[in-house]
Amino acid sequence: MPYTWTCFDAKGGQDSVKLIDALELLKKPVSENAPALRVFLDCGFTPLHLQTFLAAHLRALLPQHRVEIKTGLFGDLAGNLERLSPSDVEVVAVVMEWQDLDPRLGIRSLGGWRSTDLPDIVESAHQRTAQLGDTIKRLSLSIPFSICPPTLPLPPLFTTRSQQGSACELQLREIVASFISPISLAPGVRVVNAQCLDELSPLGERFDVKSEVMAGFPYTLAHASIVAEILATLIQNPAPKKGLITDLDDTLWAGILGEVGVDGLTWHLDQHTHMHGLYQQLLASFASAGILIGVASKNDPALVEKAFVRKDLILPQESVFPFEIHWNRKSESVQRILEVWNVGSDSVVFIDDSTMEVAEVHTAFPEMECIVFPKSDYVAFWKLLRRLRDLFGKIVVTEEDAIRLRSLRNANVLREYSKTTPGSLDDFLQNAGAKILFTFGKQAGDARAFELINKTNQFNLNGRRFNESAWSSRLKNPETFLVTVTYEDKFGPLGKIAVLLGRAESKKILVDTWVMSCRAFSRRIEHQCLKYLFEKFKADEIVFDFEATPRNGPLQEFFKQWLDNLPAHGFFISKTSFFEKTPSLSHHVEEEAFDGNG
Amino acid sequence: MDDRLIRCFFAVFPALAADGIRSASVESVEDWDSLAALRLAAVLEEEYGIQIDLPDLQELSSFEAIRHYLKKRWGVS
Repeated sequence: MPYTWTCFDAKGGQDSVKLIDALELLKKPVSENAPALRVFLDCGFTPLHLQTFLAAHLRALLPQHRVEIKTGLFGDLAGNLERLSPSDVEVVAVVMEWQDLDPRLGIRSLGGWRSTDLPDIVESAHQRTAQLGDTIKRLSLSIPFSICPPTLPLPPLFTTRSQQGSACELQLREIVASFISPISLAPGVRVVNAQCLDELSPLGERFDVKSEVMAGFPYTLAHASIVAEILATLIQNPAPKKGLITDLDDTLWAGILGEVGVDGLTWHLDQHTHMHGLYQQLLASFASAGILIGVASKNDPALVEKAFVRKDLILPQESVFPFEIHWNRKSESVQRILEVWNVGSDSVVFIDDSTMEVAEVHTAFPEMECIVFPKSDYVAFWKLLRRLRDLFGKIVVTEEDAIRLRSLRNANVLREYSKTTPGSLDDFLQNAGAKILFTFGKQAGDARAFELINKTNQFNLNGRRFNESAWSSRLKNPETFLVTVTYEDKFGPLGKIAVLLGRAESKKILVDTWVMSCRAFSRRIEHQCLKYLFEKFKADEIVFDFEATPRNGPLQEFFKQWLDNLPAHGFFISKTSFFEKTPSLSHHVEEEAFDGNG
Repeated sequence: MDDRLIRCFFAVFPALAADGIRSASVESVEDWDSLAALRLAAVLEEEYGIQIDLPDLQELSSFEAIRHYLKKRWGVS
């Protein structure tokens, strides 16, 4: 979705979608060939409007899919999951309410609210959550789960006044927290953030007593829409942005460097410029999670260098790469940073306090989210911090995230070296002390392999993506082999940078998925991958399930050395041809194997 | 009022032909089951900002009955 450039202001807020709009959206035709997204909506109440809203929000977020929502039996949240066959659906959305832990916690049951019943209700909730937790842990190994813990107010069954929290009520909340916290760590499980829900749907406006009594549907329409919208976002799981380009003056810090000098820059409480410090703190947090931070500033490079020597900067210089400091247009700086990062403009956010600079960059990169830094509006600033967390939020921080910046710097060194010393790649690689580790084995929980396949564009055999369910099914196929590739040299580790997926048939290997991070280009790692496959399987040829995509030009260029022309769908490379035309490979190669490859 | 009400009906019963909406009733519309009735009531409540009581709901069994109800009970014109 193309973004317009954004001015954060103190206004805003979010309206829920109306039911009639959701129904009308669902009437729009979907292509017969659209892939199905089968969602199991598990709730103990009548799904009614929640089902409608969930289908509509998913339809809006995933318009290329044919969304099908399946539901279970009324009042049997745990049983519905136990009866679920993982092959029947791609995704599960669980919407819990208090009555799922014990019917007496709802208003449709007349099982008793006597004070003597309360300990039994707490015990019952204990048992139900334990049962539910076991089932979700088991199923989430093969199907992704999105879970919404209870959202409604508890009924007035406790002996205390509503202003006072009773021990039983607190115990119930503790039971839910103890149940959901470990589950949220399981791969493939995402939990609705209560804070987000609280902001969008006030607690007092969630419960529809009449609807609950009449129809067994306890949510107001507005609450149903918002719960469904959050669940749909968790199911969609949009790819996070990869990099942030920031201005310096009156953005990363308060003050114009050229006017106030290095010591005049501030980001502190006592100078009333604390929000610049908070902004630095968020960017440092991003950098620590592998998000790229670059600087584009119209400034004096020597002064900026001095400013970044200041010890009290919260975003240290080593967390930023590259710096584009000059007096030319910002869009030129952004272009160069994108080239160094080797990422698309739609994966990057640009922030500057100048409306004019933001407009200039946005005109040059219409797909980039360009944001005006709200330097004098605290509410808007707070919204900006949260918006940035949403744009860059990721489920797990991998080892590769921690080393991304260093490996990018190293890639830049290699690029510069190749430019200035033509024909010296062999020498460079021989002296680089390059080590490649091939890991042969299927590990369903390998978040990095899954991430690489779903975000790599340039060295990608066919652009094919997997959702979590398809990835899990694919790895379960006994014929499938999975190879991941880890690289390091004397400049530092690149981490896990390539993934190959395929199957072997006699002397032939069929590769249908091959991706490699752009950070690993120009090291002949891709040559080693093919050599490894030929030798590992003693194969005579490798057949590639290739498709040209708008962005996989580097992969097509790579294959030209054996094919003379650009590759076509289903092309192959013979062992003889490969070894005849492959340049010298001087890496130190190791292999580790896990059980599980077919 | 009719255009708004037709929109509500068409959202809940997408299979209805445009010229069949005004004559739609529980008897003539196959999809008009208890869930559809609840969905229609929710759409009407949201669209017109009204609250439909349970006894009233049972009488809202046709387009014409709903049109009459909205006019008489809520003054929708």
